[in-house]
Amino acid sequence: MRSFVDNGFVKRTLELINQMQADGVIGEYAIGGAVGATFYLAPAATVDLDLFVTLPSATGMLVSLSPIYEYLKSRGGTQQDEYIVVGDWPVQFLPLRNALHEEAVEQAISTNVDDVPTRVVSAEHLVAIALETGRAKDHTRILQFVEQGAVDRAKLKDIVKRHGLSTEWNQFEQRFLKGPQ
Amino acid sequence: MKPKLQARMAELSFSEKIRILEKLRDREKAIAAAGLRKKSAKSTSEGK
Repeated sequence: MRSFVDNGFVKRTLELINQMQADGVIGEYAIGGAVGATFYLAPAATVDLDLFVTLPSATGMLVSLSPIYEYLKSRGGTQQDEYIVVGDWPVQFLPLRNALHEEAVEQAISTNVDDVPTRVVSAEHLVAIALETGRAKDHTRILQFVEQGAVDRAKLKDIVKRHGLSTEWNQFEQRFLKGPQ
Repeated sequence: MKPKLQARMAELSFSEKIRILEKLRDREKAIAAAGLRKKSAKSTSEGK
């Protein structure tokens, strides 16, 4: 039975993603979602690793993740719905759909998991993307960022304004941060 | 999670947090698997 201690799957997954980047299958990438949020917050259980990726071969509106899947499958990865399981972690590759996502990858923070270099979406971009996605769990995450003081409110407001999310932010503030009037 | 503990956890390095994430995920998978085994055993005994 596998040990519960220090299994190192995320590290090994990131090593493989870095190799895939070095081989030119993907361009820049940044960790988003719950794992990305963990960079700033207390760890919370999650089932997958979300990666925002630039695709060198993307032309026009057509975006294909096939080269990523083929690359990872040839190295032991297995496809499960929208995920590919690499090193025991389901990884979801999220192509950049808009200017907010592009900026999030451009301005991602460089860090390491043990000795493996990687990049994480900034706290403010994670919150803006959660606001854009707008599910209940995204709102919970935004609240965690705000309550734990892990987000620069001025930077966030600038991002929200530039990417057309002011209405969503105002509604969120009204509903969750200001309480009943 | 208590705010004090939450703040201490938030201050850990990313590598340490990732190790905790992996343990949390392992634990959730184990709980889910145990639940399935229980359910499966129950439906088997009910089927007898």
